[in-house]
Formats: sequence, C-alpha cells, structure tokens
Amino acid sequence: MGIINFPSKKRYLTGIDWIIHALDYITKKATGTGNTSQIVLELEGSPQKDKFRNCLDSLIGKYPVLHGRPSRDYNLAPYWKISFTKQRQPLPLKISYLDNTSSEANIFSILERIANLKFIGNQEHLFFHLIYAENKTYVAMTFDHRLFDALGAEAFLEMLQNEWKNKDNSFCNKDIIVPAESAHLCNWRRKFIAGQQANRAFLKMGENAPPRVLPLPASLNNLGFRFKVIPFDKYQTDLILENAYKEAGYLMLMPYVLASAIWIMHKLFTKRNIKSGDYVVPVSIDMRPTDKVQQKVFFNHVSFLFFLVRPDEADHFPVLIKSIKQQLYDQVKSELPRNFQEASLLMRILPLPILSNIMRLYLKGQIASFSFSNVGESAYKSSSFMGKKILNILHMPRVPVPPGLGIFFHQFQNKLNVVLSFLEGILSDEEANELIHTLQSRLGAK
Amino acid sequence: MGVTTLKEIENILSQEIATILSVDSSKVILDTPFHEMGIDSLSFVELLVFIEKTFNIKLMESGLTSENFRTVRSLASSISRMS
Repeated sequence: MGIINFPSKKRYLTGIDWIIHALDYITKKATGTGNTSQIVLELEGSPQKDKFRNCLDSLIGKYPVLHGRPSRDYNLAPYWKISFTKQRQPLPLKISYLDNTSSEANIFSILERIANLKFIGNQEHLFFHLIYAENKTYVAMTFDHRLFDALGAEAFLEMLQNEWKNKDNSFCNKDIIVPAESAHLCNWRRKFIAGQQANRAFLKMGENAPPRVLPLPASLNNLGFRFKVIPFDKYQTDLILENAYKEAGYLMLMPYVLASAIWIMHKLFTKRNIKSGDYVVPVSIDMRPTDKVQQKVFFNHVSFLFFLVRPDEADHFPVLIKSIKQQLYDQVKSELPRNFQEASLLMRILPLPILSNIMRLYLKGQIASFSFSNVGESAYKSSSFMGKKILNILHMPRVPVPPGLGIFFHQFQNKLNVVLSFLEGILSDEEANELIHTLQSRLGAK
Repeated sequence: MGVTTLKEIENILSQEIATILSVDSSKVILDTPFHEMGIDSLSFVELLVFIEKTFNIKLMESGLTSENFRTVRSLASSISRMS
C-alpha cells in the first residue's frame, strides 16, 4: 500500500488545536521543550526489533502528516502543512539493552529521561525507544501533543500493531484518518455567542484570581519533568471503584478521582503555607464517540471542563465531592465544553505569543493550579503488541508550564494507573512520594 | 412534557443514550447496567441533564438510590413515579 492520498496538503487547525499549540508555545518558552508526552507499552517478552523497524517505516511512509508543520493561510486560518514530495529521514528509533541486574527503578529513570528529550527541528513530532530488559520490553513513543491527544496516540500504536499483522489500516482511509477539516470561516454569530458563554464562565473563575499555585523554580531553562507512577492491580482498582460508588455515587469515578487529587494537593499546599487563591483545575475531556477514536487519530479532539474549588471546600471530602459534581452538572447543562470548542475557533486569528498572554489574563498570569485528566478505558483494544502480551500502558505527559504540575488517571484492561507529573524543582522527591502515598490512602487502595 | 407512559419514557431514554454513545438505538438494552454499556461519568451527567430538560426532574440530588439509576428500565420507572 503506497502513500495514502489526502484530499489536501492543508489540514486546517481547529480552535482546540490552536489552544494546544499555544500551550506548546508557553511550555517551550518556559523550559526549552514543548508540550510533549510519552506513552509506554510494557510487554512480556521481546518483539523482534527488525520487524518493529520495518513496520514503523512502512506505517510512517503512508502518513506524511507525521512530518508536517504549522503554517498560516492567506485568510489567517492556521493549518498543518503536509508535504507529499519531500524525501524524509526514517523516524528516530533508539534501542537499548539492559542486563538482568537492571532494576525497575533504573528502567523508570530511563523512561523519565526519554520523556524529556526534545524534538529536532519543526518537522519532527514523534520518536520511539525500545528498551529490552530481562523478561520485558518497554516500547516508548514520545509524541508532540500538537499531533496527537492521549487517545489518539494510543490509537496510533494500534495502527502500528495492525501494520505488524498486515491488517489493512484502511478503516483509516484518507477521508477518515486525516479528515479535511474546514477553515471554519462561517457561522460567526454562533461562535460569538459561544464565546460570550465561555467568557462568562472564565470571568467567574477569575473572581478570586490568581489561583493557588506552587511557585516555579527561579530558572526554568532546560528543566525536565519527573514522574511518579502508581499502577493499581485489578483488586485495588475494584476497591477504588467501590469507594467511588459509595462516596460519590453511581458512575461518578471522574468526580471522585478529581476530588481525591484536589484533596491531596490541598494538603501539600497547606503544608507549604500557600494560603491565597482558590484551586482552579481544567479537566480535558475527549469529544469523540468511544468507537470513533480510530477514525480520528491525528490532532486534538478534546475540550475542557473547568473546576473552581475554594480552600474551605477542599478541607472536607464530602463537601468537595458535592461541589465538583454540581459544577460538572452545571457545565454540562450550559454546554461549556462545546461552547469552548466553538469559541476557540475565533482565537485562531491570534498569533501564539498573543494568544498565550490572553490565556493567562483571566487568572492573572496563571493557567491552573494543576492539570488533570481521567482518560478512562484505553483506545488500544488489542491485548498484545507485535506478538507480545501487554502488561500495562502508561502515559507520562509533560505538563504546560505554568503550572508545571499534573495528575493523570488512565485505565487499561480494567486496571487504573495514576501518574504524577511535575517540573523538576517544583516538588522535592519526598513531597512527591508523600503525595502519591496520600493519594493511595485517599482512594482506599492502600 | 405531557403525560407519558412508561414505555414512551423507556424509548425516549433509549434514544438519548444511543445518541450519547453514537450507537444504533437497537443496541441499547433496557436491563443492561449503564456502566456495561460504556456510559462514564460525563455521559451519565449528559443523560441526567437531558432528563431534567425533558421531564423537568432533577435527579442529581433527588435522593434516589443507585439501584434506581442502574438501567434504562429502572430509571424510566423512577421518572414515571416522579412525573
């Protein structure tokens, strides 16, 4: 199968895409590296590296979108420029072999280092590492968030799996995988009304701005991110789900884990004697129907909910849960996520330096107290990768700076994983460990 | 909304769940628990908002137990009683 012919060399960026570009700009300006993330497959056994290389080259060759770059049209709408003719270098793939004395901690520190590597130039958005350990292999895909959101990255790995199986990836044909997004230069009235709704919500959030944040280190240049991971087993996950049911209600896992995250952060902030401001937490939500992720792999298909919690609410867990549930209800009722998606289309006219300043206006220079998401069940549906059983899938996202701090929940095969991501220097190792232990206790899995 | 039979409520809820999940309404089984259908926190709240707008009933703080919410059939029955 040759290169898939796309309908256009331009894929217009949506408003959400442009917001993600702005977050990338902000983080790159602060730390030297953009808003990137890493997804790690932990495999039982060792896939063949040559076969991996061949499948990767074959897949990458079909999707020139992977080597695109942002550009701007004469009508000022930004787009992703896709070049079909340029000869490309193969996608970077590094292979490491660890001896049987390597500990899990050693492997993890390698993954941490990889997650902080920079892309080279403006057309590299993806690279892979294979780490062969004693009885396991780790496949780490580091990706540019401008090209994939979290579920999209998982779906892309499934495409690689399909390539290995020689399975036709044409469910992702040209019109589906990179659909021709319009420039959205119409329906201005609807966009403005959506903008009014979104603006009203943000003004309310900024009433007591700036929000409570951890101070950033004095110099941010070339600082990397650290990660702490809790992989819960099935038994622990069932305990957590049961506690969510008891304390938050039926199908209220997201409010429960968000409340738990705010609760532990509140303990940390209080211990640090940070007293002014409320907690403002944006929560990314996927806007694709669950079974449509494989048809919309590239770019960003999320929107956001925004939660505001007062410190006195954060002191009492039942009060905290109730506040979050009510805010969730109110924002869904007022269609804030959809309004935000629609209104953000208006923001595309702004160059990134200006947009990044506007994004920080509402909260007086800040964006959030910390980042959060609860991705839910994985978009990677197979139980194996290149013939090897998948033991777990982890996400290790760098977080926009500010705030440089985030907690992320994700499920794979009905097991919950939690990742704490923090900029070096924003937390000590002891504080990070304490946060993780407190979270485990709060979730009832310890 | 005017007087609605239990069957009509079940149909209305099934249609809305099918829309939320982007599936055919024939795939929505009345006695399948919502969590087994793939409904998560966000989609469940979307359903509750729909119920408020359609039947003028706020279920979020209604005091109903989780058993009342669990399936289309039990939810429709609760709505019918409260309408």
